[in-house]
Amino acid sequence: MPLSAKATVELWNRRMHFYLGLFFLVFLWLFSLTGLLLNHGKWAVAQAANHRREMRYEQPIQPPAGSSEMERARDVMRQLGLVGEIDWPAAPPQPGRMEFNVSRPSDASQVRVDLVQSRASVQHFENSRLAAVRIFHTFSGSRFNTSGSRRDWMLTSVWVFSMDALAAALIVMVLGSYYMWYRLKAKRRLGVIVLTGGVVSCGVFLTGLL
Amino acid sequence: MKNDFYRWTRDLHLYFGLFVSPFILVFAASVFFLNHGKVTAPGWGAPETFRDLRIPEGIAQLQGRESVDSAREILPQVRLTGEIAFVRVLRKEQHLVIAVAKPRFEATVDVDLTSESGVVSTRTTGWWEALAYLHKSPGPHNVDIRGNWFWTRAWGLLADTTIYLTLFISITGVYLWYVIRAERRVGLWLLGAGAASFFGIIYAVVR
Repeated sequence: MPLSAKATVELWNRRMHFYLGLFFLVFLWLFSLTGLLLNHGKWAVAQAANHRREMRYEQPIQPPAGSSEMERARDVMRQLGLVGEIDWPAAPPQPGRMEFNVSRPSDASQVRVDLVQSRASVQHFENSRLAAVRIFHTFSGSRFNTSGSRRDWMLTSVWVFSMDALAAALIVMVLGSYYMWYRLKAKRRLGVIVLTGGVVSCGVFLTGLL
Repeated sequence: MKNDFYRWTRDLHLYFGLFVSPFILVFAASVFFLNHGKVTAPGWGAPETFRDLRIPEGIAQLQGRESVDSAREILPQVRLTGEIAFVRVLRKEQHLVIAVAKPRFEATVDVDLTSESGVVSTRTTGWWEALAYLHKSPGPHNVDIRGNWFWTRAWGLLADTTIYLTLFISITGVYLWYVIRAERRVGLWLLGAGAASFFGIIYAVVR
């Protein structure tokens, strides 16, 4: 017997709740556990993640090719075998020099190029696996309070897309769960009390009244 | 017995989920601002000067948490509350800069240690910035001084609670799905697809 429209909505709302939850389960665990690490920098496990290996080297390079700073930086990275998100220093470089940082969760490099001597100095940091996992939590290639920062590596965009998708899925799951709860008459009263407790404790901070 | 376990799990999943849901919405919504938002020209209000401040003795020589605890004695005198983000001593100029923040509000206090006066600049942030502030609070930076305001510690506790309850809800959610036999096949497929996407992206980024 075909389901009524209402029953179909209820069935799919319920299915979406656990389908989305199952698909994003590992993503959710990553952000939950790294959230704990980020908020508890004094934990031994968080401090262990701070250790990283540092290397410095210099290398002759071909004059970087390209019509923009970004293209020239990419050419320098290609010559040095570096990949990742480019971050420009706040101060403009001196004439005859090029300076930028390259990062991804597993490693980061500070690249300083002497364009006159065609020579690059690189300070390279290898992050521990735990540090790399933690960095994924914040790896967006963009800072909202820095106007010049923007994503320039395709894989950062892919990762950001998955962060957005998880956030959207969580919002859909929460809103869908309100409907599922509301349909359970016997659970409404206690549910209202619990939800009000959550809304008030969260809202106090959100409104900035403190 | 089995039915009791199922009922308890379902009820705890529901009620813990309802309690934590506003926090999940805050953390989820702020992701979009953190990933795509920009604060182009933060507008600071006109500075206000306060005189005859009581400056804690030896504050310019203190460091870390001690410095923050001393600086906190200055805040009520300039009518401020909030988390002290940092304290910077400019020894040559005999000035002390205190940065203060809380949801929807930022301030800097420039204290002249010689004249015992302070200039306060404030800024009211937008709602999206407030969400981002809460998302990142208490956060990984300046661990030794973070949580120097009671409400930051309270939020940190709630943020931790959100994480622990989210983990609990996700694990009980897996159980509640698994007992529905008709949904196992699709669910397993989605679980596998999600895990494959996750590890595929991670591998591509770090390889």
